[in-house]
Amino acid sequence: MFKKILVVAFVVVSINTYGQTINWARLQKTDRHILGINTGLDYSLTAGLGYGYQLKIKIPIILNAEYSIPFGDNLLDDHKTKIGATVRLIKAGKFAFTAKVQGVFRRYESDYVRLVNFGSDMSVTGGYYKKKWFIAGEIGFDKAIVTHFKHKKFYKDVFPNVKDGWYEPSTGGNFYYGLQSGVSFKQSDITLRVGRVITQDFKTTPGLPFYAQLGYAVKLSNKK
Amino acid sequence: MKIKLLNLSLAVAATVILAACTKERDINDAGNLVPKTVEQDVSLPSIAVNGTQLHAEAFGQPDDALLIVLHGGPGADYRYLLNCKGFANQGYRVVFYDQRGSGLSKRHSKDSYSLQLMYDDLTAVVTHYRTSPTQKVFLLGHSWGAMLATAYINQYPTRINGVVLAEPGGFVWQDVLDYVKRSRDIKFTSELLNDLLYADQFLTGKESEHAILDYKYGLLGIAEGSKDSPTGDEGTPPVWRPGAIVNKALFDIGERDKPDWTKNLSQYSTKVLFVYSENNKAYGLAHAQKVSSPYPNRQLLKVNGVGHNMISFPTGWNNFYPTALSYLNSLK
Repeated sequence: MFKKILVVAFVVVSINTYGQTINWARLQKTDRHILGINTGLDYSLTAGLGYGYQLKIKIPIILNAEYSIPFGDNLLDDHKTKIGATVRLIKAGKFAFTAKVQGVFRRYESDYVRLVNFGSDMSVTGGYYKKKWFIAGEIGFDKAIVTHFKHKKFYKDVFPNVKDGWYEPSTGGNFYYGLQSGVSFKQSDITLRVGRVITQDFKTTPGLPFYAQLGYAVKLSNKK
Repeated sequence: MKIKLLNLSLAVAATVILAACTKERDINDAGNLVPKTVEQDVSLPSIAVNGTQLHAEAFGQPDDALLIVLHGGPGADYRYLLNCKGFANQGYRVVFYDQRGSGLSKRHSKDSYSLQLMYDDLTAVVTHYRTSPTQKVFLLGHSWGAMLATAYINQYPTRINGVVLAEPGGFVWQDVLDYVKRSRDIKFTSELLNDLLYADQFLTGKESEHAILDYKYGLLGIAEGSKDSPTGDEGTPPVWRPGAIVNKALFDIGERDKPDWTKNLSQYSTKVLFVYSENNKAYGLAHAQKVSSPYPNRQLLKVNGVGHNMISFPTGWNNFYPTALSYLNSLK
């Protein structure tokens, strides 16, 4: 019951927060804070929230932080946090091209093992942006740079000599590519991202070989 | 705001530096996350046959009737079937081997696999342990192992003196797909689903990086003991080291060739013992009857109180063993 309350509270509390997809045509220089929620498929069925802060400089740069968790009985055993920045590199009429760089911290736990990973997520997006809607293509690379393994009794019973600790070189990496689109009204955006995921050897796919994210975002302006 | 960002950056940097101060391990080194294979650890029992090195053991008197145990997967290993050593005390020479690319046997490249190669390995194992041409040969296969046993009998209908088949997915490809689909019917919001899928963003490997791929494949084993899985097991059966590449290779071959291993089974008049479990919701009597029907002479056994891995756990073994022994003795 407590876990169900947590899930409901998570969704309700984050109703005014942020989805990472942005309509650049509607973003004003005075929009300072961007809050949103999202849900979708990201290596599992997930729910996320986040916060963006637009810097007070000439080039549109948004610093952002995202947090997401997959559904399940153990609500906080798996989660992902991303911290980084998105910058609009080129604007040509209604076309815009952006780049995003994020550091990633993520955790996975099962009856076998607890994994803690530091990684990076880099992507570029290019699209057509109007005041009320937009559509864009994106391509990115999510790298698991260094991972700590701590095995549980169950796995140690199976393989007693398993070695816990930090593992290198990079323990994984996946490319992703897809489309993002959305509609905008007043200070809000409703956005959708869909696409495919392929492992870095271009030969295999994850168990869930696609992603999808439905998001809602609201921008809070600072008139000063 | 700038001060908060600076503090955050320092915290992240400190964590990374702290992490960098510890000794890192190589994820692709066998022996770190998964055990070494027979190729890497000469102390393991093995046999060199058919151009490969198989992790293998035999129990019982060499001249007793051979009982070759075939594990599932493809890609699992014989550790979870070691209860079958019990047959060695009843006048059988019980032979266990990890199939090519599975368990602790030698790894091979994905494009080297074929079904014929798996048949030839089985022939080579029989030849290795057989002490005389009159020594009878029985097969006991579980899941994929039961499919392999049937495929072998379909290919060579006169070579095998009896067979115990425990929940093979199917003997025609569509039956296999249907069973696999039912057995993976997992609730989308369950803990099991993210246990199975979420690690994909932590761990990936090239086809040549067997250690990391095998480790990652092994994490999926958690499904077998989960309450969210329809296969109904009371726990996760122990394996040494699954073979991810052989699993992928044989599934790809199945998808490509859509095999039918029933065409010659009408020639196999010997009675077969076909076993299914009470708690595996993805299997059941109807599937057992359908899959076993190409065999002209068959005995169905429902093992009560257990799921798919019925041979691995005490309840299942105690319900399975007497009937299986009686069946084998009737043909010895």
